[in-house]
Parts: sequence; structure tokens; C-alpha cells
Amino acid sequence: MTQAALAAGLEPCVHCGFCLQACPTYLVTGDEADSPRGRIALIRGLAGGRLEARDPQVQTHLDRCLGCRACEPVCPSGVSYAPALEASRRRLADERTIPLSVRAVHAVMADRSLGRVVFPLARAVRPLARRFAGPSRLGLAFGMLAATRPRRCPAPKERGAWTPEPQPAEAPTPRRVVVFAGCVQDGLFGHVHRATARVLVANGYEVMEAPDQGCCGALHAHAGQHDDAVRLARQNVRALAALAGDALIAVDAAGCGAMLKEYDRLLAGDPLETDARRVAARTRDVSELLAARGPRRGAPLGLRVAYDPPCHLLHAQGVAREPRQLLAAIDGLDQVTHVGAELCCGSAGSYSLAQPGLSGEVLGYKVEAIRRVRPDVVATGNPGCAMQIGAGLLAAGESIPVVHPVELLDWSYRRAGYYDE
Amino acid sequence: MGVPARVTSALAGVVGRGSVRVAPAELETYASDGLPTHHSRPGAVVLPGTREELVRVVQLLAYHRVPFVARGAGTGLSGGALADADAVLISLTRLTRILEVDPANRLAVVEPGVVNTRLTAATEPHGLHYAPDPSSQTVCTIGGNVAENAGGPHCLKYGVTTNHILELEVVLPDGSVTTLGSKHGEPWGPDLVGLFVGSEGMFGIATRITVRLTPLPKAVRTLLADFETLRIAGEAVSAIIGHGFVPAALEMIDRNCIRAVEASIYAAGYPTDAGAVLLVELDGAAEAVVVAEGAEVERLLRACGARTVQVASDASERERLWQGRKKAFGALGRVNRDLFVQDTVVPRSALPHVLEQVDRIALAHGIHIANVFHAGDGNLHPNIAFDSRDPDQLERVERASAEILEVCVAAGGTITGEHGVGADKLRYMPLIFDGDTLGAMRAVHLVFDPDEIANPGKVLPIHACRDWRRAAAGGAPAPMAAAGGGA
Repeated sequence: MTQAALAAGLEPCVHCGFCLQACPTYLVTGDEADSPRGRIALIRGLAGGRLEARDPQVQTHLDRCLGCRACEPVCPSGVSYAPALEASRRRLADERTIPLSVRAVHAVMADRSLGRVVFPLARAVRPLARRFAGPSRLGLAFGMLAATRPRRCPAPKERGAWTPEPQPAEAPTPRRVVVFAGCVQDGLFGHVHRATARVLVANGYEVMEAPDQGCCGALHAHAGQHDDAVRLARQNVRALAALAGDALIAVDAAGCGAMLKEYDRLLAGDPLETDARRVAARTRDVSELLAARGPRRGAPLGLRVAYDPPCHLLHAQGVAREPRQLLAAIDGLDQVTHVGAELCCGSAGSYSLAQPGLSGEVLGYKVEAIRRVRPDVVATGNPGCAMQIGAGLLAAGESIPVVHPVELLDWSYRRAGYYDE
Repeated sequence: MGVPARVTSALAGVVGRGSVRVAPAELETYASDGLPTHHSRPGAVVLPGTREELVRVVQLLAYHRVPFVARGAGTGLSGGALADADAVLISLTRLTRILEVDPANRLAVVEPGVVNTRLTAATEPHGLHYAPDPSSQTVCTIGGNVAENAGGPHCLKYGVTTNHILELEVVLPDGSVTTLGSKHGEPWGPDLVGLFVGSEGMFGIATRITVRLTPLPKAVRTLLADFETLRIAGEAVSAIIGHGFVPAALEMIDRNCIRAVEASIYAAGYPTDAGAVLLVELDGAAEAVVVAEGAEVERLLRACGARTVQVASDASERERLWQGRKKAFGALGRVNRDLFVQDTVVPRSALPHVLEQVDRIALAHGIHIANVFHAGDGNLHPNIAFDSRDPDQLERVERASAEILEVCVAAGGTITGEHGVGADKLRYMPLIFDGDTLGAMRAVHLVFDPDEIANPGKVLPIHACRDWRRAAAGGAPAPMAAAGGGA
């Protein structure tokens, strides 16, 4: 990659500053160097040779970007920020080593043989994790693990008139889907995968298996570990492109979905580019698939739910309406809106490991905003967000469960008796 | 040259080491404001977290006679928040507290870093809002609005920033703190608030700002009229005002700008084959009155030659029509590598003539100009597209820009409406003011800032002396080197 190519996509920036108030780190620090416009100045400085990649201040402020991409949809000039951020992080990675904790986590995600040891161990410890949850760094780590455990529906059974909606006998376009496995989602959130498969079937999809998939590589790409990201992308493209016909790829982890939808960019110029483009074009968030079918209405759940859109769903994929449509299919669900729902929770992949201080401040706003609306349950469609918000709530002494929106729909369908047919 | 280390370490003693920036990379992020053609790394950046810290920072800098520049969100379009390498940039973005909202007296007290729309959001539950609405209102700060006397589309009816500031607590450039104006009614003596608002950071820094709050209009009507040519649209503007209407806003967007907006994510449904569109907003206390007025204005627009007139049927449609106007600058950025926004004012009746001249100038210099502006105020904003890598183009833009100002001044107008003089328009000051007037302005400036350390080198064209001093000391003569706007 040439030096100047670092700033590709940043040309339209006219420095208007309209991105500032969308940026969670700028809102915390008030520092231009922690804003999208400031980071663009840093990347342009790198590209133009005015700044050096080994400059610790360049590294600090580019590292402090969450990569949440909230700056992109508010940009009137259409600046394409994420590719430039990734390219610059790749450039920084040439100059220094990535922190050990981050590398270790990324290794577990990327290496399936490691994952086969670590994830079952984590699941074994999980029932005890809650006891050690707290606001310290270690406490947050245990809180995150505790947040991954399967939850039971907290809503009491409601009586009263309610008629189940029959499954469409002839689905308008019966379509086959594969649920993208991923790494953490597969290792710690298997119950979400199973819920995803059940609600998709209940909405007339045919769910099929696709072996040999693995981690999507998003965290590696965001951290500048470009070669790892490419290797993982190729592995998934090989596994998924072989699917026959018009099968779609259903993703229930927003970060993975965003990555899969950008495999064409990641593998540009690669021998697998054509297949990558096919995979990207066939990838859908699970909420998109369900919204396309209505979705089928379920039994009432008398719950107050606060939906917290994952950044990689809302900003990176532009999927805003569909998760709410999904929740609206559940009668009696009271959707409450917390302030700053559209802001990042500070999870941002391995950000909470690499930048615990700033991550904690960003999380603090989120937890406070959620507490103020007193929900029975928080819904979010990404494993990192569920762990981060879950840990933040536990640290604040709150036992509000954080679940995937499809889990709510799954509870509702179970009550409706859709699975006993 | 540069800010002495003893000063930066003393600053760190006031605000903490983490809130003083001296590393080149960090200074690079503060090297431009909303005027991307200028680039100047400050000597240091300091981010006070409280009013007390801010006051002590200014006292310290006054003691050491180190020049300083106050900066809000850095959205200004005249380079007013640029600082030289020998100056300290004081960023006010951490002073974001809304200290008081007093619905009974219709006022609010805020710190300078409060963002314009956040203030309105905090007062809306009381049925009130902060009326001045610059297009950057979702990010710009009240402190910056005060410094620039910011305008906005709705200032046609409600007045600009100065009409909404009741009281200011300011730290003067010598570090003393004083209060100008009064929360309740007119104070005794000269209008010092009026003097301070719009002083572009040269009279000191506002530490606490008491603003007037305005009731939210109970009824709003937004119309979009499209015209064959810019001239016909310009004549319609004069007709509306001439017939005694006072719209809340009256905005014009020309063909080039319509096309940029419609190609962006903020597409508003403006007809792309129109020569220009007018966005007219009427508001008032009663639905029936506003509807009747809307119908009259619609008739008038048609009589003036409007091809079609759309009326926004609900709030979301109104929002959409406005979105295109408010995000126009960024949308133009999308299609142009670099962009320079001119800001001038002419008598409303001169609009059709001046717009034709602007067109002629663009043609003569072979450059692309898009117009989007506050037509009701006669406040023009020609947006000039260019590529900063091409020196010949830069030169032509420069010449065209100067000619536009000359045409506006000749038509009885002036060189800035709301963006300020800053660094960018220094050289045009002699176009509208003679030596005696500039001398009088300087005398007033020296009353506030005898040591000339508050935002030096802006507004008053006395920069030459500083340059000369610096050149004599062996430094570079040009303080604001034009930068390559991008890599």
C-alpha cells in the first residue's frame, strides 16, 4: 500500500465538523484529536508525510477511535472513514506490536483448535462468573462472561385474548439460509444461534448447515492485523460461496454481518474476489430476514425493553428499522428509548481491552441512560455489546438481562406454541 | 517563535498535564477550523475543564504576554479560530454545562462550549427554544456563536445572536473577570453586550452566557417554490418582503447546489431542473393565521413566476425540505475536492443583479460556483469549488472571490454577513472602511486588549506589522500558509 493510499476515501472531507457530536470519544474528552475530523487530520498527516506512524501521539489518538462509524451516516460529504482508519491501523501495526491481551483474544477467535479449548472452559466457569463481577478491570471481565449465559424469559405468563398467527403455508419466496457461526457467538452465545434458527424456521425459512466456517476477521481488520483478516475471510468465503442457488447468509452478530458485507472490499484483487462479492451480496442481518416476512406475530410478553442498536448494525450496515419491526411483532412489549441509544457502548471489539479507561467512560453514559428508563430487559444484536452492557449493568448493581432481539421473539414464539406444531 | 516551555508547564499546573497539548500530531488536529484552505499549527492547545480553570489560564497567559485564541467546535468559516505557532489555542469544548433554564423569565445560562441544538433540546420541554440557528447548529457552540454574532435561516424574523444575548460574564485579555449587560432588562450605559457579541475573540472570552429563550411557534408552514432562473427567484424575494410578509426564513438554493444536495444522502426532493428554489417558512401563534398567510404567499410566488409550489404537509416533510438546505455545504464537499464559502450581504433589491454578476464572474474565471443563502436578509453564500493542488485554480478562485466582494460592495453591500472577518477577510476590510474608521476600531480594540494578545492578527488589517517583526527576527513572513487541503 502506498503512503498516499492511506487517505483514500477521505477526499470529500471539507472540515465542516458535522461529525463531532456523533463521536462518543469526542463527547467524553472534548478533544479534537479524539474526534473523526481530528483523526482524519492525523491520517492525512500520515499520508502527506507531515506525521510519522511511529509518533506515539498519532498512535494514541488513532487507537482511541472506537471504529463505531457513527460519523459516517451524519457526514453530508459522504466521507468513507472506516477504510482509511483500517488502512492507517495497518500502517501503525508495522511500527509496533499490538498489546498482548488483544493478540491473545484475537488468537483464540482466529484459531479454531484454541477456541475448542477456551470456549468450553469459559462456559464451565460461566455459572460462577457473576459472583466476581464488579467495576474493576477483572470484575468487568467476569461481568462480560456472566452476560453470555442463557437467560429465561422474565415476563410472567399473560392471560387474555390472543390468537396465534398461523405459519404462512406457502411462504411467498421460500428461501434457504445458513446461520453464520462466527467465533465468540458460536462459543459463548450458542443459545442465540439456536433461537435464530428457530425463529427463522417459524417464519418460513429453511435453515441449512455450512461446515468449515470460522471467525469473520472483523476484529483483526479493525486492529490492523490485515493478513489475519484476509486469511479468515478467505476461509469463510470458501465455506459460504459453495452454497447452492440463492441461499442467504443470516448473521445474528452485527459486527460479523458488517464484516461479511465488506468481504468484497477486503478481498479486492484476491483470486477469491468474485466469490467474496457473492458472499457480501447474500449476507443479511437476521432482523432483515425476519422483517421481510412480517415477521410472524408471537404471544404477548409484558416487558419493558430498551433496544440498543449495535453500531455495526445501525451505522455500518444502515439497518435501523428492522430490529424494531422484529420487536413490534411481540404484543405487549413496551419499547422504551434511552438517551444516546445510537451511541457506542464502548465495547468495539477488543477496544475494551486495549482502552479500558475511555471504554469505561463511554460505557458509563450508556449504563446511566439505561438505568434511567428502568427496562426489564435490554436488547442488542451483537455479542460484544451484550457482554459490555451486561458487565456495565452488573458493575452498577443492576441485574437487568441483556439479550439478542431474536431471543425475545423466540420466547414469544415458544409461548405461542409455534414450536410444538 | 513557539510557546515557551515554562508557559506550557505552568498551564499544566492549572488544568493538569492531560489537558495541555504540545505534540505535533495533536497540534495538527487543531490546525484548521471550518475553513479548510488555511492551515496553521498552534504553539499549544489547552482544554480547561471548568470556568475557574479558564480564567486562570487567561490570567497566566496575560502575565506571560502569550497570545491566545479561543476556539469552540471549530466550525467557523473565516479562519477566526486559527492560531499561530507563538499562540496558545484555548479549546472551550469541555465547558458544556447548561447552568440554568429559567422558563418564567425565558432565559438560560450556559457555559461557552454548550452546543447550539443541545440548548434548544434542553429548553423544548418548556415550550421554548434558542432561536438563532446557524446551519452548523448540531455541532457549533454558543460561545462561538457569540464571538461571531452567528446568524441562521430563522434570524430573518427572530434576529441574529446579538438579539438573544442578555448578559455575558467575560474574562478580559488581562485576566480580569467582568459582567456585561443584565439578565433582566437594559442595563445602564452603553450597549457593551452589543459591542462584545461579534468581536471575534478579540475582546476576551465569554465564560458564562445568559441567552434569551423564545417560545416555540405554535404553527409552522413551509413552502418550496421553484423558478426557471435565479433572477426570477431573486425578484420573488423582494416581492415577498415588499408585500409586508416577515417569513421566519426565506432561503434560496441555486441549480448547482440543488444538484449536489439531491445527489447526497440529504436529498430533499428539490427539482433538479430548476434555476433556483426558494424555501419559505412562515410561523405564528395560530394555525388559521399561518395557513391563510401561506396561501397568500403561495399566490404571490406563483404571480412572480414560480413553476410549482410545494407545501410541507407534516413535520417530517418539513424536516426533509430543511435538511437539504442545512447540509448543503457538506453535500457540496462531496462533489468537489475543495470548497470555499464566500459570505457577503447586499440590499435585497440588488439580489437579482448581484446574482447575475456572480454568474458572470464564475464564467469569466472558468470556475464552478453554487449559491445557497439567506435570501430574505440579502446574505449571499457563493460556494466556490476548487482543487487546492492546482495553483492556477487557486489563483483564479482568489481573483473571483475578490471580484464578487467588489460587486457586492459596489451594490451597497458589505464583505461579511455572519461568518466574520477572521483571518480570511482581513485584506478586504479596506474595501468598506477608510483609514479613520479602521483607526477608531483599533482604538476600541485596545480598550479591551491593550497588549493585543487576544486572537491577534484577525479582523483588523494590522497584521503587516507583526509579519514585519517576525521577518526581522528571522521567522517566516507568512503566518497562515495555505495548505494542501488534503493529501
